[in-house]
Amino acid sequence: MMRERYTRLSKSESLMLQTSRRQFLKLGLAGLGVMTVPLLAACQGQGEQPAPASPAVSAQTPATSGTEVVTVRFEGWNYEPALVEQNLKRFMELNPDIKVEYTPIEGSQYRQKIVAEFTAGTEPDALYVRDDYFAGWVTAGYLQDIEGMPGLEEAYSRIYDFNAAAMTYEGKRYGLPYYADIVAFAYNAELLEKADIKEPPKSLEQLEEQGKKLKSEGLVQYPIAFGFKLTNDFWYDWWGLIYASGARLFNDKMEPIMHTENTVARDVLAWIERGMNETGIVDPASIELDGGKVRDAFLAGQYAYILFQRYEMARANNPEQSPIAGKVKMALVPSLDGENKGTVGWTRMYCLSKTTQVKDAAYRLIYYLGGLDENGVPYTAKWWFMQRGLGFAYKELAQDSEIRAKLQTFVDPDIYSLQAENARARENVQEPWYSEWESENQKLMQQALTRQISVNDVMKGMAENAERFKKQYGA
Amino acid sequence: MRIVPYAARQGLVSSYLRRLRQRSFTLSDSLFAYVLNLPALVVVLALIAYPIGYSFWLSLHRYNLKRPDLYRFVGIENYREILTDRVFLNSLTVSVIFSLLSVGLILILSLTFALLLNETFLGRGVMRSLVLLPWAIPGVVNGMMWSWIFNAKVGALNGVLVSLGLIEEYRRWLSSPTSALLAAVFAHVWNMVPFSVIILLAGLASIPSELYDSARVDRCGVLQRFRHVTLPWLLHPLLIVLILQTMNAFRTFDTIYILTGGGPGEATNVIALQTVRTVLDFTDFGLGNAYAYVIMLITLVISIAYVRLLYQRGSFET
Repeated sequence: MMRERYTRLSKSESLMLQTSRRQFLKLGLAGLGVMTVPLLAACQGQGEQPAPASPAVSAQTPATSGTEVVTVRFEGWNYEPALVEQNLKRFMELNPDIKVEYTPIEGSQYRQKIVAEFTAGTEPDALYVRDDYFAGWVTAGYLQDIEGMPGLEEAYSRIYDFNAAAMTYEGKRYGLPYYADIVAFAYNAELLEKADIKEPPKSLEQLEEQGKKLKSEGLVQYPIAFGFKLTNDFWYDWWGLIYASGARLFNDKMEPIMHTENTVARDVLAWIERGMNETGIVDPASIELDGGKVRDAFLAGQYAYILFQRYEMARANNPEQSPIAGKVKMALVPSLDGENKGTVGWTRMYCLSKTTQVKDAAYRLIYYLGGLDENGVPYTAKWWFMQRGLGFAYKELAQDSEIRAKLQTFVDPDIYSLQAENARARENVQEPWYSEWESENQKLMQQALTRQISVNDVMKGMAENAERFKKQYGA
Repeated sequence: MRIVPYAARQGLVSSYLRRLRQRSFTLSDSLFAYVLNLPALVVVLALIAYPIGYSFWLSLHRYNLKRPDLYRFVGIENYREILTDRVFLNSLTVSVIFSLLSVGLILILSLTFALLLNETFLGRGVMRSLVLLPWAIPGVVNGMMWSWIFNAKVGALNGVLVSLGLIEEYRRWLSSPTSALLAAVFAHVWNMVPFSVIILLAGLASIPSELYDSARVDRCGVLQRFRHVTLPWLLHPLLIVLILQTMNAFRTFDTIYILTGGGPGEATNVIALQTVRTVLDFTDFGLGNAYAYVIMLITLVISIAYVRLLYQRGSFET
């Protein structure tokens, strides 16, 4: 054995000695070439032709019992990953033939990372999707529709219209709801009582009057603030306010009308601008604040009113998280004419990647998470509400006794569910140019709020941006 | 076993290599050197040149990940588009103003600190260490720190100024276009000054003390010594500082992203921020890569201008 090895080594050594330097260099270069090809391939990404992503990595491993266990790769942003794991564990116990590999991804980088995965062909089988980029991912060929899958009709028949619309693209349904929520208007009842204000404002005019009163009595420096710092997300409080007044920014052909036919958005923006620069109702620091900071300041008693995500009501009235717990009440979002016409809502959903090789198993997973259980109950949606107060897309949950009991601990259940009935998704959220448009609009509105341009200029700019991006994304 | 002495072995090896070269190759020395460097060159090409080249190739395409079906070669269309795009031209203007202000301030402050720290005084070592601290702070953390300092509600700057009686009420430093830009410049300068101080300190240490002695004998004052001895010797380090800080200023993204997000409006929307938004948020790789190449071109032109300007002053004669 030793002798044999010695002989082999000797041959190799003698081969090396006999090889000329040219041959040696040839061999070396060939070796380097072999090493470099995968490196280049890794760097290349899509190459010249953005080819469809390669099949997802979904191994099928044999089960110890003899049946095959299918592995489903599942990814989502990192909201409460421990709770997600806990729920997935239950799913796997109920479905021993499916193994879920769950990867939580940092929320602020979620979109970029998922896009990178799809580009590199390493996408998961099932994943979280926000309505903000849902349509863009469909047109990019990342997602597949779930038409004809079991239980889909029943699930869709029981959810709010705006949620169903948010998960549908060109007549095909792609997702099941993770959670859905709306923008709510809340006020600090104690401050209003001190100012002898009997009921919350229904119109923006009333909000202004009440705000002036609160200011004059020295109860707050600024009655309300908005999260108007430039962000990658949407300015939900702005959308909530204009939808409460019935604004329409686009017509049915997706042509901008905010600068011509429908002036509601302009009037609301003018009200905010006046509030910031003249009446002192709106905190001028709003353009430095994001939604989280506005919420924290409201909970610290600095503001009397706020527009925030409805699920924040649970935090606002939780003594462990809020110094003004028990004093925060919800009301309909005030409007220009005093008649509330709705608010803005959004949908977070579970979808399947187009290339998944385990479609049936992945669908069973997302149906467990976003659909109905064997008793026809939206188990996970209810579970999320009970755990963390996340909003739900299923109408029937608003009447669920357990949920109502829980709601009563921090909000009036009827007002809570009433707003969802009239909620609307952003009109153009399903356009592939939506995120660019939102981003540019935020800049325009900041310019108006700091009086660099007029409110009319903002509306014209919004319309021009819409046309420009449509053209940019057109074929 | 026959033991061959080390020197003899070296001789044997070199004579073997010489014979090998004479027998098998007719390569010149320079070509032979290139061949030996080839493996390293291949790695450099794969890791640096290829991505740079590929990025340029992408900039000649219409390539948005949201619409991969529209992918096609468009030549210089992306460049033509951005040169007439209001957003791009505005971000370029903001970047130029930001760079002029920050590079100017960095030069003045770092030269001042370097001259001070070059003197002998008690605690100089501690001071040198302290001055370097801001450089150890990443851009994102720097942005967060300054956003709290400039905060309109609880900011330290407002607290100090009100306590000193310099202002009556808290100001919104990040709400006005001018003060937001100045705040961003200040945050960037604070982060970048230490690096320049290090370079200039190294330059100061290399000036022979005899030159100062001679200048003193010639009855030169402090300013004359600075002008006729220190400054000429510092031209080379200053050139490095100028080039690096101009490039840094043009590429600054993280601090501004956290501090103002580019606002209010477009007041601090520097070109690097617009590039990152275009590529990562809007997933427009074609346009985003064109942005990146414009930044590279600008910094290249400025760097060449610096070198020519200072070279003509004779700074490289030594």
